[in-house]
Amino acid sequence: MSDQPRRAAATVEFRHVTKRYDARAKGTPGAVNDLSLTVPAGKICVLVGPSGCGKTTSLKMVNRLIEPTSGQILIDGQDAAKRDLTDLRRSIGYVIQQVGLFPHQTIGENVGTVPRLLGWPKQRIRERSDELLGLVGLDPGRYRGRYPSQLSGGERQRVGVARALAADPPIMLMDEPFGAVDPIVRERLQNEFLRLQEELAKTILFVTHDIDEAIKMGDLVAVMQVGGVLAQFGSPAEILASPASEFVARFVGADRGLKRLSLSRVGDLVPDQVVTVSVGEEARVARDRAKADDFPYVLLVDGDRKPVGWVGDDRLPEAGTVGEELAIPMSPLLNRRTTLKDALSLLLDADVQVGIVVDRRGAVQGVVTVDTIAERMRETAGSSEFSRELVEVEA
Amino acid sequence: MIRWDWIVDHLDDLLPRASQHLYLAAIAIVAGFIISFALAIVSIRRRRLYPPIIALSGILYTIPSLALFAALVPITGLSVLTAEVPLIIYTILIFVRNIVAGFDSVAADVLEAADGMGYRGLTRLWRVEVPLALPLIVAGVRLATVSTIGLVAVTGILGDRFGGLGFFMFEGYRRSFATEIFAGALSSVLLAVAVDVVLVTVQRRLTPWTRPPRLEQVQAAA
Repeated sequence: MSDQPRRAAATVEFRHVTKRYDARAKGTPGAVNDLSLTVPAGKICVLVGPSGCGKTTSLKMVNRLIEPTSGQILIDGQDAAKRDLTDLRRSIGYVIQQVGLFPHQTIGENVGTVPRLLGWPKQRIRERSDELLGLVGLDPGRYRGRYPSQLSGGERQRVGVARALAADPPIMLMDEPFGAVDPIVRERLQNEFLRLQEELAKTILFVTHDIDEAIKMGDLVAVMQVGGVLAQFGSPAEILASPASEFVARFVGADRGLKRLSLSRVGDLVPDQVVTVSVGEEARVARDRAKADDFPYVLLVDGDRKPVGWVGDDRLPEAGTVGEELAIPMSPLLNRRTTLKDALSLLLDADVQVGIVVDRRGAVQGVVTVDTIAERMRETAGSSEFSRELVEVEA
Repeated sequence: MIRWDWIVDHLDDLLPRASQHLYLAAIAIVAGFIISFALAIVSIRRRRLYPPIIALSGILYTIPSLALFAALVPITGLSVLTAEVPLIIYTILIFVRNIVAGFDSVAADVLEAADGMGYRGLTRLWRVEVPLALPLIVAGVRLATVSTIGLVAVTGILGDRFGGLGFFMFEGYRRSFATEIFAGALSSVLLAVAVDVVLVTVQRRLTPWTRPPRLEQVQAAA
């Protein structure tokens, strides 16, 4: 990365943090009430909740854009309130929804802001800024000399992330960073950011009002409710499987079973075995094998065991060889990384509702059905006393 | 009618008067800007003070210039100060309003990002707020400059040592010589236009980000 050793991520701990606002004042941000939670180093913690729940207030208390009324925020055990303000802020990356790029500076200058404030030599700032633009997927040669007004919303967000990373801060605060772009761009930015985080392993506090984004991005999710009360703090799987209160159950939605599907991947399942027949194999041998199995189809594969299509047992010829022309349309192809949510969706749409699991080279490993997925969900389901109540309320 | 031959014969007289005109205008604009900038900063930091500051400079702005010059003569005599004080006063309303509008135009998210990165106090002011307020500030400078260049002519009322190009208007009036009045007015207008062109050029240089993107960049981004 750069010539100095990477700074390790830091632990962020909220200790009984409270922020009160004068009730008569208009347009104040959400209050926070006795918030205590610990974000381990290198993890993404998503603060999620409806508007006015104090999630943004909590975030801004970390870099002291807002000062708490009482309580402490500890960064690697050190009280943030005792740190020099400028120093503290320059050691924390900050990304906001409206990005806040400096319109009067080029993209290169924007990314180099904090290094410049820290007094790095020019050459090194330039190298660092080019490196970061590359990291967020923007070609430095094309982008460094442009102004923010010449970029699309998605490109600006990338620059915002690059700028926050510039001085390699151990902590990043992200306030709805992908909230202002369209859903397709958002999804791409989320995926890219998760991939980046695998490499960077920063401690990230991430604010969103979107529970799906929280589940997708968070190692840990803190669900907050109006009044700044922490309703539940845990892994996305825990929150979906066993909501701690009716509020959480309602907030994550009645479809939380479906949401849980996006947390598991095909790789977590044990695929069913399937009878395969190679193209050009003798029909008689194939028929014998097909009969030994209940499933009324065999899977035709090519020489590399890549799937070609399904052949009905009864359509296998009496003699000769099995040819490609017998195959009927394919089922969806799934790989280990496919989420169960996507897999299920593909299966429901397909003619043959059997998903073929392939490995990295495309060779058949087995098949997955709706039943396989349902089985897996039953195994991992938590029991929640709020599940039944919710259904009654909704009915 | 206009005697163009007289104008051509007196072009040499025009130049020193034009430079005096510029000089008198420049002092007023620079001094007016400095005073107004301070008032604008005060208005931004203490928002309550903005309405009274604007009200006061508005009242001053309504005083007729001739009356103001006449009122100052007993106090400051026929000095440069007598010429400059009214000129300065008339710039303040224009400057304060535009400078405050310039700072107000800086987007809140930009300031929040600046704070989040540890910009504070004067550094934030000079590096972030002033550059972004610049387009509206320069608009104010242009307005104040054109209006001041017009007003400098009136200082000719204080005698031949003042007035810049206004000298020709007063002398032409005394001699009932239309060509001279015309020459003074026309050259004053041309001077204002020339200075404005310079200011526009300076603004383009200072605020490159406000220029529309070049075509090839638009195509590359698409």
